[in-house]
Amino acid sequence: MSKSEELDVIEEAKQQYIVVTLGGEHYGIDISFVDNIVRLSSITRVPKAPAHYKGVINLRGEVVPVMSIRMKMGLEDDQFTNSTRIIILKLEELGYLGIIVDSVNEVVSLGESDIDRNVSNMKETKGNFINGIGKDGDRLISIFDIDKVAGESTKDKEK
Amino acid sequence: MDVSQYLDVFIDESNEHIQTLSDNIMALEQEPDNSDTVNEIFRVAHSLKGMAGTMGFKKMQHLTHDMENVFQEVRNDNVKVTSELIDILFNCLDAIEAYVDNVKNTSNEGDEDNAVLIQKLNDFLNRAMGKETAAPAANEAAASAQNAPADASSDAPLYTHLNMDDNDKIKVVETLEGGNTVLGITVHVNHDCLLKAARAFLVYKAIEDAGDILVYDPSSSDVEDEKFEFDFSVLVQTDANPDELKAAIEAVSEIDSCEIGPVTAEMYHEGEAQPAPSAAPQAPAEEANAPAAPAAPAAPAPKAPAKAEKKDDKKAPAAKGKPVTARTVRVDIEKLDDLMNQVSELIIAKNTLVSRANSMESGGGVNFSEQIEYLERITTNLHESVMKVRMVPIESVVNKFPRMIRDLSRRLNKPMDLVMTGEETELDRTVVDQIGDPLQHLLRNSADHGIEDPDVRRKEGKPETGKIWLNAYQEGNNVIIKVGDDGAGIDAEAIKGKAIERGIVTEEEADKLTDKEIINFLFMPSFSMAKKITDISGRGVGLDVVKSNVEQLGGDVEVESTLGSGSTFTVRLPLTLAIIQALMVEVREEKYAIALASIQNIEYIPVTDIKYVQAKEVIYLRGSVIPLVHLDKILDCEEKEEQQESITVVVVKKGDSFVGIVVDNLIGQQEIVIKSLGKVIEDNKHISGATILGDGEVALILDVNSLF
Repeated sequence: MSKSEELDVIEEAKQQYIVVTLGGEHYGIDISFVDNIVRLSSITRVPKAPAHYKGVINLRGEVVPVMSIRMKMGLEDDQFTNSTRIIILKLEELGYLGIIVDSVNEVVSLGESDIDRNVSNMKETKGNFINGIGKDGDRLISIFDIDKVAGESTKDKEK
Repeated sequence: MDVSQYLDVFIDESNEHIQTLSDNIMALEQEPDNSDTVNEIFRVAHSLKGMAGTMGFKKMQHLTHDMENVFQEVRNDNVKVTSELIDILFNCLDAIEAYVDNVKNTSNEGDEDNAVLIQKLNDFLNRAMGKETAAPAANEAAASAQNAPADASSDAPLYTHLNMDDNDKIKVVETLEGGNTVLGITVHVNHDCLLKAARAFLVYKAIEDAGDILVYDPSSSDVEDEKFEFDFSVLVQTDANPDELKAAIEAVSEIDSCEIGPVTAEMYHEGEAQPAPSAAPQAPAEEANAPAAPAAPAAPAPKAPAKAEKKDDKKAPAAKGKPVTARTVRVDIEKLDDLMNQVSELIIAKNTLVSRANSMESGGGVNFSEQIEYLERITTNLHESVMKVRMVPIESVVNKFPRMIRDLSRRLNKPMDLVMTGEETELDRTVVDQIGDPLQHLLRNSADHGIEDPDVRRKEGKPETGKIWLNAYQEGNNVIIKVGDDGAGIDAEAIKGKAIERGIVTEEEADKLTDKEIINFLFMPSFSMAKKITDISGRGVGLDVVKSNVEQLGGDVEVESTLGSGSTFTVRLPLTLAIIQALMVEVREEKYAIALASIQNIEYIPVTDIKYVQAKEVIYLRGSVIPLVHLDKILDCEEKEEQQESITVVVVKKGDSFVGIVVDNLIGQQEIVIKSLGKVIEDNKHISGATILGDGEVALILDVNSLF
């Protein structure tokens, strides 16, 4: 990130996003939902839980459920590599929830003007978990709709 | 000043008083002539009235005042205690409770003035007294006099020689010159009083209702900070009747007495010449004001302040002693939870060390394992003491039941008695808070469905008065609460009929079931057996709610019944919710914890000993047939490649039934800290929670109850 961009953050009060990669694409997660980013640790499988729930991990003495966002979006199952990370989200109603991503790149600042909210035409496709596309230079970053990422999981549970 | 800061004290004390009243009124019904009980009731009613009054809850004060009048007459033997009176009194008690609830929720007593009740009370009193209506007022005065320990021996009230500065003196003198009456008041607080400042505040409030306080001694800020002994004084400008004011002040709880009298100008300027050891140094400027002051009409009290005498006096009331009440510390539950979490972490740390020690085997040396043992001892002790802090006796929940049964007995026209034992049994606070409703439901059930009508009982050769009991006791890591009756018992045939009618089972299936299994249908949702719906029970939201409530607390309910001689419900609750002893088992690569409390025994069974009943695997063990559950199958583990010659079976029990859980391996016994699985995957059928092992891995806790 260049210096001039950092100055912009202060002037325009932009939102910060953590950029992660999933299947070669860039996704942004609103930093205000992120509690922590941890390396992949051993995940304990929970029997009878929905398939995209990989299990639970120990996060500093707390038991935190971990979800595969790839499986939820209909992508192929995660390949665990050295760069695989778990993003720990802190949600108001559901508490902690970990999501597995292929890698974590950096933090970008995007203002509302940098984000194209017109993503309604993508609603038909399976796994519509984004609510905007951010433009960071030439790069396109799909912005996760955290409520949908976490919220639908409650529906899955009811099934 | 604002009363809201004393609301909590008021609510707590009111509830205590209400409970005491309830207990004593019950006792009074049993022995109407016991004067101790009557006195106790009178005392409590009086305190309630005073508290309500000083907090400004006029309606509540009014009601308690009229109750007090009735007790007064009972005490003087002018009124006989009848069950009609007891009913009215209980109604009043409910009304007071409603006021207190209102105060709790809204800081306001509400609009209900209970005129009907008050009318009833007074009607009863008038009838009983033969229209001697004038009496109560006189008695009231007598009562307050009796309530105040005679302090006559100290005849020089403090208010005649207060410490005050010049400004205050000028203020007093000027007020007197303006033709106003100034009263001096000295209040003596009970020596056992714990919240002197609060009492003083209530007194101030009572006084301020009547007039303006001119002078405080000690100063109001000192009083607020409890920087005073057991008495304090004020000078008030008021038109109120001194006797009324005195009564209002003495109505505040834990106030021993108060002295009240007019203050004259000479007390505070000419009076300074008198020997007054406690008097402040007085400025000459005061003298200049003196000639202008008119002579006060009232005869001033003798000014010899007998300080020494007073000191002796103070000791006297303390020696009288108060009724012994349980000394408790109120602890914020959040603080306890924090403490609990810390202990949990400590245990995790300990487990880490244990697993480290095991991996080091002999390399660590003796010293290391000694340290571990020490740490283990500390954590166990810490755990126990924290648990104890959280424990409260179930008394707080069950002590409302005698009253409830009494009401039911009258409403249903069935004489019955409730016998309770083991009220002192302690349980985790969170469990105690939630066990009230299920127990109440079981008792209502017994009263409504269990106990028969008196003529039926007579025909069956039973005593007319039905007996209901509630017994609580500790058994290992559980607390057992049994609720039973000697009534009709549960008719298994009737339930069977109903279950078939509802389509829960077919007739053939039903014939195979044992009576016990049939009775368990009662715990199914919407399975009410009441032939007629009463407002007590029988709406179909019944035993299933009891069952689910108890299960939520980690316990279970069972019922035993003999047709014709009664039924007993057994509620089993865990002592604690947060940390348990568990057996760690292994299935393939996964580790699971099984609560030790539910494990009956562990068996190694040769595969050839597995038998089949209705195509289900069972083992036959010491005379009982135990169905087998393969943990790997129900938890969707991978298939096992090779067949083993024998299997490891953990036999678990729930009530009288057993299930054998087939596991791959046993790891050992461990103290585990129960953690929630996280909200998104919380309701999992076979998993009740998770725990963190010594190596930081998460192991899941098996919900054994789901296997039955």
